[in-house]
Amino acid sequence: MSVSRRGGCNAVARAVLGRRGQAAGSVVVLDRDRSLVEAARRDPAQFDALYRKYLAQVYAYALYELADHHAAEDATERTFLRALAALPRFREQARPEDGPEASTFRVWLFRIARNVVANERRSRRRSPAASLDLALGAGLAIADGTDIEADAVTRDEAAEALRALRTLPDDRRRALVLRFVDEMSTAEIASVLGRSEGAVRVLIHRALGSVARELGRDRGSAGRRGHA
Amino acid sequence: MNAPSLPPRERDVVDALVTDRYLETLLAAGDRRAADAPADADLDPDIRAAALVLRRSMVRVHPSFRFEERLAARLAGMAAQVRPAAAAVASAASSAGGTVLAFPGAAGTTGAAGTTGAAGAGSPDGTADPLLDAILCGDLDPSDAGAVARADRPPGPRRPLIVGGAITSAAISIAGVAWVAWRASHPAEGPMARAARTARSRRGAAVVLPGGGLGGPA
Repeated sequence: MSVSRRGGCNAVARAVLGRRGQAAGSVVVLDRDRSLVEAARRDPAQFDALYRKYLAQVYAYALYELADHHAAEDATERTFLRALAALPRFREQARPEDGPEASTFRVWLFRIARNVVANERRSRRRSPAASLDLALGAGLAIADGTDIEADAVTRDEAAEALRALRTLPDDRRRALVLRFVDEMSTAEIASVLGRSEGAVRVLIHRALGSVARELGRDRGSAGRRGHA
Repeated sequence: MNAPSLPPRERDVVDALVTDRYLETLLAAGDRRAADAPADADLDPDIRAAALVLRRSMVRVHPSFRFEERLAARLAGMAAQVRPAAAAVASAASSAGGTVLAFPGAAGTTGAAGTTGAAGAGSPDGTADPLLDAILCGDLDPSDAGAVARADRPPGPRRPLIVGGAITSAAISIAGVAWVAWRASHPAEGPMARAARTARSRRGAAVVLPGGGLGGPA
């Protein structure tokens, strides 16, 4: 398993343009993946390009949700097989307010992934909850190897953060994963989760508040242990 | 946080907007390999600290190369099966002037132009996915949460349900049967309904005459 931090394709555009939709104006908005989707529709073998593009995103989402490497692989496999089967019925729905970098295919794919993961969680309800930091393995924090002490602190911090993440209610955790790991915009997350953009903003804000409290509690208890 | 004059609900919305704006700039800063991003003075420092920790900790994890290639091969196999099926549908439609449609019924038993069992046949381990077959048959939209949940029910034929001597499908609910029974005993008001009720009451009041004919009350 390898760890990567891929920058969001639309992050720079968002920063330059400010709020989404301001730049749309007279520009004809096209779905970012339109050419790939059309090619895959003409020839299903061309679906490979879409698969390679979104594999890591879907797998990471499944891993954060299921905290199990094998279950995440299984969910990823089912997601892509179902997407390929249903591709002829996929309808592009790019809106001007989604911005020039929007991909309704990605949203559609993640809605499939969300359903697959939900089914997987239902079937695994009786199995004990796995630890996310164990599932993610030693590659949790990207260590540069030159400062061992700093690396240890970073790893501890990452483990604390993931523990805090696991204590969140499902919808809050899911929103944070889509925001931080898959680097989706609020509009995309709203489409994936079937909520309004305002609701997603509040969800993420509250989730960050919960994580902040958990991190503060962890540090407080660590400090007390240090003094004792 | 700030904006103390606002009601709590609206303050939450304003704080969420401030947080959202900060996250936008923070994610953009990541593309420039910057550790942090400028934030509004209104942003809660605890929220900002938590966001920074999550930004560093929540990394995107890539699956193994072996898994990636195995799934790619499986998708290619499935694509190769879907391609002739799609071509067969297209040629049948052009030659006969019609369209071949999958019969909406048991998933996996029928399929459009021979897509039957594509999931099972395409899998190296031979395991079939009934939901995948349903998607291929056009019965299921995989991005519809409700449809997938319904399809997640245990397979098997729907059993008929006998209610009040009438054989009905399990798709008709008890409430529906009760409504029909109530509606029969409470006919809608209207000229035709009144006429029908009058005719029915007269028929009920009819008596058999000694001569074999029917007669009403005098």
